[in-house]
Amino acid sequence: MLKSNFKLTTTVVVASLLSSAAIADQAYGPFPVTVKGYEGDKTNSVSYSGQIARHVLHDSLKKAAGKGDGGNNAAEVEALMLAYFNGSEDDLTIIAPASKDGFPVKQSTVNEISKGKNISGKFYNGAMSAWPGNQSGVDVALQMIKMAAASNQGYDPVNGMDWGQLISKFTLGAMAYNQAVDNYLDEKLEADNKPNDQPYKDGAHYTGKEHSWDEAFGYFGAAAHSVSLSPEQNYAVSKQKDLAAADANGDGVIDLKTEFVFGPAYYAAGADKGGNKNTQYMTTIFNAFRDGRALIASANGEALTDDQRAELKNYAGIIESNWEKTLAEATFKYAGSVYEDIDKIKSGEDSGEALRNYAKHWGELKGFSMALQSGKNNLGATAIDMNWLIGFGPAMPDGLMVSEIDADGNFVRGREMTLDDYQVNMLKVQKLLIDTFGIESRANDATADLAALAEKLGEGASAEND
Amino acid sequence: MEFFDQLGSILSDFSNPRKRVFVGYLFVTVLIALVWLVAVRRSSVKSAFKDVFDRRILFSRSALADYQIFLINRAFTLFISPLLVSQLAIATLLYYALHDVDFLQRGLFNDTPTGVIVALFTITIFIVDDCTRYLVHRWMHRWPLLWAIHKTHHSAETMTPITVYRTHPLEGILYSLRGAIAQGFTMAVFLFFFGNAVDLYTVLGVNVLSFVFHVTGSNLRHSHISIRYWPWLEHILMSPAQHQVHHSIAREHHDKNFGVAFAVWDWLFGSLHLSEPGRELTFGLPASEAHPSRLLDIYFRPFADMGRYVRRRAKTLCIPTFGARIKSDQDGDNTGYSKQSL
Repeated sequence: MLKSNFKLTTTVVVASLLSSAAIADQAYGPFPVTVKGYEGDKTNSVSYSGQIARHVLHDSLKKAAGKGDGGNNAAEVEALMLAYFNGSEDDLTIIAPASKDGFPVKQSTVNEISKGKNISGKFYNGAMSAWPGNQSGVDVALQMIKMAAASNQGYDPVNGMDWGQLISKFTLGAMAYNQAVDNYLDEKLEADNKPNDQPYKDGAHYTGKEHSWDEAFGYFGAAAHSVSLSPEQNYAVSKQKDLAAADANGDGVIDLKTEFVFGPAYYAAGADKGGNKNTQYMTTIFNAFRDGRALIASANGEALTDDQRAELKNYAGIIESNWEKTLAEATFKYAGSVYEDIDKIKSGEDSGEALRNYAKHWGELKGFSMALQSGKNNLGATAIDMNWLIGFGPAMPDGLMVSEIDADGNFVRGREMTLDDYQVNMLKVQKLLIDTFGIESRANDATADLAALAEKLGEGASAEND
Repeated sequence: MEFFDQLGSILSDFSNPRKRVFVGYLFVTVLIALVWLVAVRRSSVKSAFKDVFDRRILFSRSALADYQIFLINRAFTLFISPLLVSQLAIATLLYYALHDVDFLQRGLFNDTPTGVIVALFTITIFIVDDCTRYLVHRWMHRWPLLWAIHKTHHSAETMTPITVYRTHPLEGILYSLRGAIAQGFTMAVFLFFFGNAVDLYTVLGVNVLSFVFHVTGSNLRHSHISIRYWPWLEHILMSPAQHQVHHSIAREHHDKNFGVAFAVWDWLFGSLHLSEPGRELTFGLPASEAHPSRLLDIYFRPFADMGRYVRRRAKTLCIPTFGARIKSDQDGDNTGYSKQSL
């Protein structure tokens, strides 16, 4: 008896060691159907098409933000944008990512991925103090949509707004990040919420916990095989430039449900690819998702034990902290871009184009800073400092920036801020992000040269005397 | 294993080309001394060796104290250096501040050829470092509170290259502050005006000018080998013999030759003293000032001296005030001390 127990234990240990070695580079799924009493013919319990549909709604919404002609078609553009934001009874065309030469996409409408989905129902709806008017997250998004629709190609040159960037980057946090870390990886990990010994809903081929976890993974937006791709490849897949890397099953078309890389994962890969190249956000987050999913599958349709849930929460913690860092890295990067753009504006060359790039990068900076504030954690004083330093609009060459929105919904430019002062603010934003989030990739670090020079000069702490 | 790690970190200065006591520099120093003794002083090779490795100097009580102070200060430095403000912190603050000055244009000289920028930075940081060392050193001698701690260095009665570490820890902190301010300032200003091409010409990872200073015998300053330069050169560069004059106990040598690499600062500010051929120098301080080898005295007397000085100053500040109050009372002005406190 004792001997056979020992043999069994050895077999289990060896098997689990082998399987953990084998799993290291493994894709997210397929995982077996474990739900008790399931009688259908499905063999793979992984499902997150609803989240992919929302990514597609988001990408299309961003594109739609650039369709305004300066006011004449405002109502039409707003209706189009709202269809993607609120969802529609009609089947919506996928504006982005759409097929293009050398990168055919399998789906051309949202319903081909999943029906009845929207962004607004899954959008951060707490207070958003980063935007004027003390509004909720959803109200801010609706206001941005309205202003985008009335603008000329999504650009407001007076206030320095790039609506496509603002809406898109805010949504990456307010929808994807918020839903994943504040819902699926939070309360849905509790024992009595979506338990693992029951189907997610009647007749489903996945359990409550399996599907909750899959949905969080879906919001991350990685391809199921992203872990076997380099940061450069993941990046190129998202840019629709590397068919070979994207086409995991080799059928010549890209299935958005499993083979494409969307926003949050794209920025994780982007941080790994750029800057100091000393981070592995994509691999770290992906592996935590995949290993967590494997853990749930190993319960084989039984309720998770407290130990298993504790382990799962540990994976969730890894995902959450690394995801937050990728948003901080992106905010950092665009603070650096804004800093450099101001140099170009001051140099006076191509002022129209320099200003356009400035507004674009500012939109990304602001959007990501708002994304950071849409998660589970209240950032407290960090948020207050960041919002004050970045402001409600970029400092414009006339030394003014947006200070509020009046009763008619128009921007008021009442805060004085020279371009020089605003550059200092960008340096302070970068420092704040390093100090608060401990980010390491630090693309576009505006004071990296100082640090490198200090390193070269060496520290002066010595007791040498003449 | 841990013991060797500790030992390695304590002795790391000997393997670090940024430090004056790097073995390579020490080797060159010995070579220079030998060549000078044989070629200029006409010594035999044997007596030159005897002179350079003079046991009465290398193992004098004063030198033995130097070695102990070296070890104690190394431990102290390891402990204190993380607490000191770095040149990067100062540079970052100044870099922010420069942005706020309206009439200064960032990247004004960005178009300067890279080679020129690097050469300019390499030279400037060396000169700024040298000049601020001169100034701080001068204050060390001129201000009684600072002299109380700088005395530690001057209490050496014999000098070896390790005497460079004969420093009171408080003075070490002041020197590192000086370095942080001087380098942080230069870095920030250069990066602000010249952009990211700013860099340093280095040899073995050290500023090429510091490297030249060290391989031309910087260690001989603290030695008994009194190599002198031509008088015209001693107006520009500080010779080892001139620094030995700085350590001389003779009255006429007091407060002379504060410079490190350059003598021009002393020349400009009237503290230059050329070396004197054939003059025998005595190093150290009178017993009333400091003890050459008693460690407790070396480390703690400066505090007593500073305390005494502060008390004396406090008295001279208080007495006239007190006297004035008595006088005002005698004058029948009874507004009392409220008037005094104004």
